[in-house]
Amino acid sequence: MSEPVTALVADDEEAPREQLLLALQTAWPELSILARAVNGADAWDAYLEHEPQVCFLDVRMPGLSGIEVAQRIAGRAHVVFVTAHGDHALEAFNTGAVDYVLKPVDGLRLAQAVQRVRARLNQAPPDLARLLQQLGVQARRPAPLEVIQAGVGREVRLIRVEEVLYFESDTRYTRVVHADGDALIRTPLKELLTQLDAERFWQIHRSVVVNQRCIASALRIDEGSMVITLRGRDERLPVSRHFQGLFRAQ
Amino acid sequence: MTPFDNIDWSQLWYPGPTRRFTPAEIRRAGNEAPSATLSMVLMINAGVLGFTLLQAAPPQLSSVLSAWLLCLVTLALSLGSIVWRRPSRRVMSACALGFSLVCAVCAFAVKRTVSEPVRLNWTVALLLGSMAVVTVCFWFVAIYRAHQIELRLRELDERERAEELGRQLADAQIQPHFLFNSLASLQHWVQTKDERAGPLLASLTGYLRATLPLFNRRQLRVGEELAAVQHYLEVMQARLGARLSWRIDVDEAVRELTLPPALLLTVVENAVEHGVQAALHGGGVELLGRVQGGRALIEVRDTGPGLAPGAAEGTGLSNSRERLRQAYGDAARLSLGNAAEGGCVARLEFPFVPSKHE
Repeated sequence: MSEPVTALVADDEEAPREQLLLALQTAWPELSILARAVNGADAWDAYLEHEPQVCFLDVRMPGLSGIEVAQRIAGRAHVVFVTAHGDHALEAFNTGAVDYVLKPVDGLRLAQAVQRVRARLNQAPPDLARLLQQLGVQARRPAPLEVIQAGVGREVRLIRVEEVLYFESDTRYTRVVHADGDALIRTPLKELLTQLDAERFWQIHRSVVVNQRCIASALRIDEGSMVITLRGRDERLPVSRHFQGLFRAQ
Repeated sequence: MTPFDNIDWSQLWYPGPTRRFTPAEIRRAGNEAPSATLSMVLMINAGVLGFTLLQAAPPQLSSVLSAWLLCLVTLALSLGSIVWRRPSRRVMSACALGFSLVCAVCAFAVKRTVSEPVRLNWTVALLLGSMAVVTVCFWFVAIYRAHQIELRLRELDERERAEELGRQLADAQIQPHFLFNSLASLQHWVQTKDERAGPLLASLTGYLRATLPLFNRRQLRVGEELAAVQHYLEVMQARLGARLSWRIDVDEAVRELTLPPALLLTVVENAVEHGVQAALHGGGVELLGRVQGGRALIEVRDTGPGLAPGAAEGTGLSNSRERLRQAYGDAARLSLGNAAEGGCVARLEFPFVPSKHE
């Protein structure tokens, strides 16, 4: 008996999410659902935590859209999009590279999608980067965060985002490390991530996001493990497997 | 300001319509052949004129003149149809010039064949006269045709714009995402015998019943529109649960006013979609209406991330603005901006004119 296939289900609305889970019980009884995400930021975080083989992603979600999450997953898992309406953009997927199911979920259509995913499980998932790029980002997005307000004792300290060296998850808080010290804020890292300029702030681990300008070097320790060092700092930050591709000698 | 200021003096040396149409515009306006009625009238006139002139002309000249006149009338008509097809200054002037040239050649030829000075003067005067008459006719045809094309194009533009607005409105209103997401929740709750199914179905029915007839109306009482808005918010409330909070607080006096249909609904849908659904922890929508300084003011506020700098305006909003302009002209305004306390605020101002109801 082989290991059960693992999956993640993400939808920001409760009823459609539960409906999909219920329908999956019939269409794919041996599927093991590792996580249920309630928005895009949550879905991305849950993906990094559990690294499921299949991701069922609602296209419209707050934080990150399903398409943005798929972009980040970057072909490391099989993606099935779930949408209430066949967007023009999604019709591009009808070429068969990726599946999508329509809400309300129809058992027959879901069974077909499941069958196709199962047939592809042994192959590497297709990297949809180019296709997803074409779809673009439809969501109205606020400008990237500029200032972080951190409570330190009785004062509220304003930290300019560009002066931050890195962010690190610390149980229920996020530690903001900057040149003059550090501070704790209540916003979880997975939510903060969606407000940062992704070009400037690189996520290198589920719990670490680093200012790309402060990185001095990346060191490979052994097969599968890597750390980075920062300019003028002693700490070494871990780079998880998913993000090691960011550092490649030219 | 003298009466001469309005005169386009260039028409004296370069006559014809000032607007130039592209071949595509002329094709779009259609009706490429000259009007049959116009041709018939011109033909009869030319015939009568020619016949009268021949009666008046000295009998020795009648055979020569009738041949020339026949040629000239045929030439004038064929040039006229060119002017009809391409009513531009350049074509019109070229045709007039060409015709004049032919007349001049005719005059020269007549001078060679007729020796008697009185007859000669008479013939040259006749040719010059027909030259002037034909030029004026060309001018008339060109101006008439240009005007006709312009009117037709404007009419087509207006009709297309109205159709486009209607289509956009229908597209913008029954949003498939809204409908199918609501049905997805409904289906799940029916399957699992969840008690939320009943109220959701009632609100969705109310929403559809209120919005479907909206599109056929030009004006709608604010109170009626608010009923649709309320149903919409109830549906979203059922779907989003604690993620959405909302409040409608509109004065009775404002509820009696009229607005183009589905305008408030579009604004509220925008607020929910961008201000609440797009926010990680949800948010609130507030709809406030009151009379202020003789004008009605309705504000829709949300607690979302606000407008991104340089964000493009959705079709729903520009459509609403256009319909508002058609109903109230410059007297009404719909503006969208970021509130000082965060979130987005849409402000709709329009004249406070209590309408009489039958």
